[in-house]
Amino acid sequence: MKPQDVQRGHLHPISSLIREANKIFFDMGFSLAEGPLLESEWYNFDALNVPKDHPSRDMQDTFFIKNEQGNVLRTHTSNVQIRYMESQVKKGIQPPYRIVSMGKVFRNEATDMGHESEFFQIEALAVGEDVTLAQLKGTLARFFQELFGGTSVEVRFRPSFFPFTEPSVEVDMQLMEAKTSREAGSSPDASQSEAFRVPEKLRDKWMEMGGAGMVHPNVLKNSGVDSEKYQGFAFGFGIDRLAMLKWGIDDIRLMHSADLRFINQF
Amino acid sequence: MKISRNWLQTFFTAPLPDAQTLADALTFHAFEIESVENEILDVKVTPNRGHDCLSHRGIAKELSAILNIPMKGDPLREPMSGFTKSRHGEVSIDTPLCARYIAGYIKGVKVGASPDWLRKNLESIGQKSINNIVDAANFVMFNIGQPLHAFDAGKIGKRQEAIGKSEFRIQVRDAKKGEKMLALDAKEYVLSESMLVIADGNADAVIGIAGVKGGKVAEVNEATTDIIIESANFDGASVRKTAQQLKLRTDASQRFEQSISPELAAYGMRAATDLILKIAGGELVGFADEYPKPQEKKQVSVSVAQVNQILGTSLTEKDIADAFIRLGLTRKSYEMSSHRIFKVEVPFERLDISIPEDLVEEVARIVGYDKIPSAELPELKEALAININFAQSEKTRAGLIEKGYSEVFTSVFSEKGERVVANKVDGVRPYLRGNLADGLAEALQKNVRSKDLLGLKEVKLFEIGTVWNGGRESVMVGMAIETKQGGKITEGKLTTVNADHYENFPISTTERYQSFSRYPFIVRDIALWTETGTKPEEILEVIRKESGELLVRSELFDTFEKAGKISYAFRLVLQSFEKTLTDEEANAVMESVYKEVKKRGWEVR
Repeated sequence: MKPQDVQRGHLHPISSLIREANKIFFDMGFSLAEGPLLESEWYNFDALNVPKDHPSRDMQDTFFIKNEQGNVLRTHTSNVQIRYMESQVKKGIQPPYRIVSMGKVFRNEATDMGHESEFFQIEALAVGEDVTLAQLKGTLARFFQELFGGTSVEVRFRPSFFPFTEPSVEVDMQLMEAKTSREAGSSPDASQSEAFRVPEKLRDKWMEMGGAGMVHPNVLKNSGVDSEKYQGFAFGFGIDRLAMLKWGIDDIRLMHSADLRFINQF
Repeated sequence: MKISRNWLQTFFTAPLPDAQTLADALTFHAFEIESVENEILDVKVTPNRGHDCLSHRGIAKELSAILNIPMKGDPLREPMSGFTKSRHGEVSIDTPLCARYIAGYIKGVKVGASPDWLRKNLESIGQKSINNIVDAANFVMFNIGQPLHAFDAGKIGKRQEAIGKSEFRIQVRDAKKGEKMLALDAKEYVLSESMLVIADGNADAVIGIAGVKGGKVAEVNEATTDIIIESANFDGASVRKTAQQLKLRTDASQRFEQSISPELAAYGMRAATDLILKIAGGELVGFADEYPKPQEKKQVSVSVAQVNQILGTSLTEKDIADAFIRLGLTRKSYEMSSHRIFKVEVPFERLDISIPEDLVEEVARIVGYDKIPSAELPELKEALAININFAQSEKTRAGLIEKGYSEVFTSVFSEKGERVVANKVDGVRPYLRGNLADGLAEALQKNVRSKDLLGLKEVKLFEIGTVWNGGRESVMVGMAIETKQGGKITEGKLTTVNADHYENFPISTTERYQSFSRYPFIVRDIALWTETGTKPEEILEVIRKESGELLVRSELFDTFEKAGKISYAFRLVLQSFEKTLTDEEANAVMESVYKEVKKRGWEVR
């Protein structure tokens, strides 16, 4: 620890990641939108095409609020999608829409090194006449590339299911060092050279990032957007997980530990 | 769901590739695979495919499409004729939550052990073999997905004057309040009016909880000779609720919960009766089939342009047709206003396909998501909105960090507050916090202990976070600073001002996080007289070398000069990754440091 650290305070790694992600998405035309943490079931579930009494509601363990029927702690930041589109439509502003939302979400589950009942999510939504799944791939590749600083990033989709997207995919990412830089490195210890910015643990390995897909037409309809004319993509990833990968953090519970032995490292 | 490769093989003539290849095929084109062990795949069927894929037939169909290997025959595509009615039994459905109920009556079966192939198949996927009748019913469920049940007909009430009237009367109805049933698992379940039951109409007794579990009263055992097979269709949401309320999730309820086609009941009945006659003998007497509102045939259309418009691909008509052919989706293709359109006849079991986008997904996953190119979003013309709350939070953060405050996040869950979570899984801190102060006070206290380890003069913390009070959710800024009395906490609302841009605040430059020891540390100071000109770094190097891995922090904290000599005082923090360090261990480290510095001619004060 350097002596000047004693003077300045430290930024929480989650805040650093949010700051960085906001910049990356801002540059791609996404504005930052927000929504409440204590949310109605309509915005958290129904409007997102998650029907009542359907097994898909079991996919997320939800915190319900006592004596407040219909209110939950949001299980994802997707409530922001609906609220944003709804407000734009109300203002008479038609797509294209591009938003990113980042904030706290909740899951009612036991905690361990990889699970927290409160964590942060980043979600992006792009709606327009010709927003495609291919553009989702490209957008994610650019985000990962800038965030992890690899010389080359591959994004892979696997089929999945989410009620709010159709088609739905799971997103995997692989960071690679470009062949050219590896060949360019003349020293045998090229992996230590400047050209390699990707931490070794993350290099050339598929990592699960989260869910994504094309926005389900019912979600657009529920927000008042013409689903015949417009289509879009959306994705949602855990910010804590991104931070854990970026810095090699081994326990998600450190994020809410308020422990300076952790925070002062950033 | 456990799927056996050998079982899958029965659907194909050509030998299937090895289990890992099957797992990979499913992973990239259909479902996540939890594990592959000894030819058994644990497949995580997504909720949208519970209708048709919770069976070996369903997975075989997927693999046939993905690997492009034709199936020997698809049991669900075989012609299905109606059922010969028998005067022996009648079924009445007194609820809209049962779409179909078929009862099949077989007389003179010989209940006994199952043939080897059947027992082995069931055991391979972790099921227990019970007897040939029960096993046959289970086999059909795991084979094609239709849950079935067998009742001992001898234990069901027969109508006395049976001439011209049916002997058995099966009723599907709501349970009566407080009605009880002793189930096959030997437990008694108390039912409520929201639950559906199968009742013996003659005895007015519950013989099954619809779609969940059969009753002990009509259990099939060694003494059974006549059986009634049930192949029915119950409402998914209703079964789900019942199973949840009774805490009784069964293989049958899990399938009904996902909603399955009432058409499937006929295939289930046919397969079950055929198999039972084959392995347990007996004579098929006949059926009762109550199916008030047959499932309507569904067609969904999608154009070639639409597929490409959504995926961002340039697939041809042939590519798309090929995916549909492999999936067994019958289709017509025609031209409409210069668009090539596919009209797909949706097979009855594919309840998931109802809009064009569903077909787009089918094409995408069969063609393969690796064939989706990567494209950039076009530039946006509109100016981007600045989020003033975020801009303000960022400014606040930067300002506080400048003043030496470090940012923490504490939990929103608290021991007190206005609002309370109804179902918190761990039961602790169920309230939503009404302030940041309590969490910050706790955090301050905790961090003060680490001060020496971190080399902090004073602990200063801040949090920007959400609280709930006065019936509202609001974002607050809280600050905590260590004082002699303990701590001073201040908290105020995050007030925003207009902003037309985000300031370019720095991000963390840290590359890797280093895990830290969770054990207590010990602080030792050492002060030395040295000759003028001795550099503190030189001394630190010696100290570090001598104290080894236990030294986690060392710094110079005091210097003064007197009579041509300099005194340096260093603070050393010792800590182990493995255990709580004892004073003796810390002393030993210090002894070796003293010894070495004396050797160098430095005098320990």
